[in-house]
Amino acid sequence: MYGGGGQYDGGGGQYDGNGGAASANNLFGGGGFMPSQTTNTPEGSGGGGGFNKGRGSQTLMPLTVKQLMDASQTNDDKSSFAVNGWEVSTVRLVGRMLNKNERVTDVTFVLDDGTGRIEVNRWENETSDTEEMKLVNDGDYVIVNGGLKGFQGKRHVVAYSVRLVTNYNDITHHFLYCIYVHLDLAKAKRLASQPQANANTSTWNQAPLPNYQSASGNTAGKELTDLVMSVFHDPILGNMEHGVSVDQVASRLNLSDAVARSTVQHLADIGNLYPTIDDNHFKSALNG
Amino acid sequence: MDTSVPSPFVNGETLKMFVGRRVRTVVQVQRNESGVLAVQSTDGHQLTIRGAPGAPEAPHYLEVMGIPDSNQSIRAESWTDFGENFDPVPFNGLCKLASDKYKYLFL
Repeated sequence: MYGGGGQYDGGGGQYDGNGGAASANNLFGGGGFMPSQTTNTPEGSGGGGGFNKGRGSQTLMPLTVKQLMDASQTNDDKSSFAVNGWEVSTVRLVGRMLNKNERVTDVTFVLDDGTGRIEVNRWENETSDTEEMKLVNDGDYVIVNGGLKGFQGKRHVVAYSVRLVTNYNDITHHFLYCIYVHLDLAKAKRLASQPQANANTSTWNQAPLPNYQSASGNTAGKELTDLVMSVFHDPILGNMEHGVSVDQVASRLNLSDAVARSTVQHLADIGNLYPTIDDNHFKSALNG
Repeated sequence: MDTSVPSPFVNGETLKMFVGRRVRTVVQVQRNESGVLAVQSTDGHQLTIRGAPGAPEAPHYLEVMGIPDSNQSIRAESWTDFGENFDPVPFNGLCKLASDKYKYLFL
């Protein structure tokens, strides 16, 4: 029911675990934000003020105004901000437009998303900018993509786009997405500060896949499914035409056939694997 | 910049925590009786909304910002018609998360 009508995903290149699928619109850069293990250094070891930088700082982060107001300033010139310990510069906010003020070269307004208020400024360089700003007025719900700035101790957003909310489910979606991204970044940070537990998966140096879930509640089960998935993500095996056989999984991980089969079947049931030529060969649904 | 007056997301259950303070919620209109709305919250509570003249008829969803004067009624300050295709289930989930486990992201 969220497909089609909504404006929320129109920006493309937003926080996107699969990196790329949502990058149809090149206005905001493609690829999507995902903390990569290769750039993701433990806090304090990078020398950059102790904040994770990575490519995350340039990608679009859905946030509440409260989170923006709580963001810490990362360096001495007070020009950049960190949320959850991740540097943030491009943000997406969803809220109600108030006090719209049209001036010769720009439009200013206050965005109230219910968690706080922040001033937003939209420069009108092109006719299209002016046209876009004519479509939104005080009291309207808008989706703002923009850069977070600090000036004389006051925070404001310089908007790159301001679009009217046409599907109100986008509002719910935005706030749930804020929670999701918050949790995902907290998880990535926690993983980065832990020693690498999966040393035996050294050939797999990809970003963690947020959509990958284990339905199993207990830790041992989760580790097992993680290990099995790592076999499927091994580039050598992953490129085989017919996928990886259950026997290969069993021999790789020194598992019994029964355990290997039940784990693979479980992963297939939750959609992380799919069968190929027969019931013995599977491929990962997560590595494209 | 006034950040002192956030409007927390509430459903019928969490409304009672905010009597006398500004909230926002989404409700489904059931009856519109001369300016007093009988509505249902996203978690199934029956509520009364006053001060929303011109509000749409059933079965529209309505976002209401206002101040609850009891745990069953809200005096509206403003409202927005969310149409008939609003999905109450995720909104209700959001209300629970935003007033409890992840409150620190919202309030």
